[in-house]
Amino acid sequence: MQTKDRKELLVIAICGLLTGAIAIALVAFGNPANMGFCIACFLRDTAGALKLHNAGVVQYIRPEIIGLVIGSFACAIITKEFAPKGGSAPLTRFVLGFFVMIGCLAFLGCPFRMILRLSAGDLNALVALAGFVCGILTGIFFLKRGFSLGRSYKQPVTEGVSFPIIQVILLILVIAAPAFIAFSESGPGSKHAAIIISLIAGLAVGCMAQRTRLCMVGATRDLVLFGEKKLFVGFVAIFVAALIGNIVTKNFNLGFEQIGKVAHSDHVWNFLGLYLAGFGCVLLGGCPLRQLILAGEGNGDSAITVLGLTVGAAFSHNFGLAGAAASKAEDGTINPGGVGTNGRIAVIIGIVVVLVIAVLNTFMKKKEAK
Amino acid sequence: MDYIATFYSHFGAMRFRKEVESAGFSAVLKPVPRTLSSSCGTCCAFTAPSLPEPTHPDEVEQVVEVMENGSYKTVFSSL
Repeated sequence: MQTKDRKELLVIAICGLLTGAIAIALVAFGNPANMGFCIACFLRDTAGALKLHNAGVVQYIRPEIIGLVIGSFACAIITKEFAPKGGSAPLTRFVLGFFVMIGCLAFLGCPFRMILRLSAGDLNALVALAGFVCGILTGIFFLKRGFSLGRSYKQPVTEGVSFPIIQVILLILVIAAPAFIAFSESGPGSKHAAIIISLIAGLAVGCMAQRTRLCMVGATRDLVLFGEKKLFVGFVAIFVAALIGNIVTKNFNLGFEQIGKVAHSDHVWNFLGLYLAGFGCVLLGGCPLRQLILAGEGNGDSAITVLGLTVGAAFSHNFGLAGAAASKAEDGTINPGGVGTNGRIAVIIGIVVVLVIAVLNTFMKKKEAK
Repeated sequence: MDYIATFYSHFGAMRFRKEVESAGFSAVLKPVPRTLSSSCGTCCAFTAPSLPEPTHPDEVEQVVEVMENGSYKTVFSSL
């Protein structure tokens, strides 16, 4: 291994460890259990705060999301990597983002939270990990056969800065807290670290993810396609740091039963939820975290994907598609939670839609090439 | 000379590799080096006496020549 590669690997490992540690710290500062970071949950909370859905327990403009985008934007400007571009099948990306969110919320977490849940001993996340990897492998099957959403094109600066500016407006709204913005008074949305702490955490992880290309999907994709371990090291480093943090803070609880930790043991739907997410994300070229980072770098296609994710979250809660967490009533009765009929149908539809998108953009492209 | 070409899609990289190989040169697909681009995609590293003409230049993002000290010299860019 060359010195340059070794140095790059070391940087990714350190950034992964720091990211895992920051995620644990955010829980200690007030975020919900095993939710130091969850791009799906945080976009859902933000959608709720803007009243795109009316689930009262998940409404809060999450400063972590704002920090991730602004951190990436600032880093990209400093390193001259800010490059407004777009025009690569935006509507298809929106639809993929929409269904990736449906899958994530069936499981109750994005791939990032899957790692954090796993590091806390939540074995439901192991089932989801299996689904996630199968989804990525399905996506790779199409990548290898020529899947493409087409090239992107250089765009005006306004296209690149619009998404970071939207984040600044959201920051002003969460600080000013006007009456028209919803804030949960109970449930996961009411649990959060102080705005400044969440923002700094987001900025730090946004900078690190921009510099290292940290991506939960890219890690598996590169490992399978090229035997390349760099991004996977970041994935493992987050897990290791969070595992140590969870053991130290006595949050490690090995098993499927995770009452009060925003999780359920509906195995088939945990598997299929993240299967859908993994499949969709490979076609998109990155996990939800990576989409936020790319959006910060000026990528309009990724910004559209994030909008798709956000609208997917709104639909999830407006139409009862999201999984319900296991809970314990005051009389001690345990409600196992899980994914309801609407959610199950939506996940199946999502898998079919993503499959159709994959087939059309693989075999039609091959026809064009001939 | 050693070159690295980056693309707008994985498909573009695959097609370019086939072209380079059918021209009789060695080529390999790998993740884009972090120092070259922040994009999360596939690049084609190849060795050829000069830069081959791609049949689909609109798919090529940039091509760099890998210098002896490991640095890159841009020989084509659509950015």
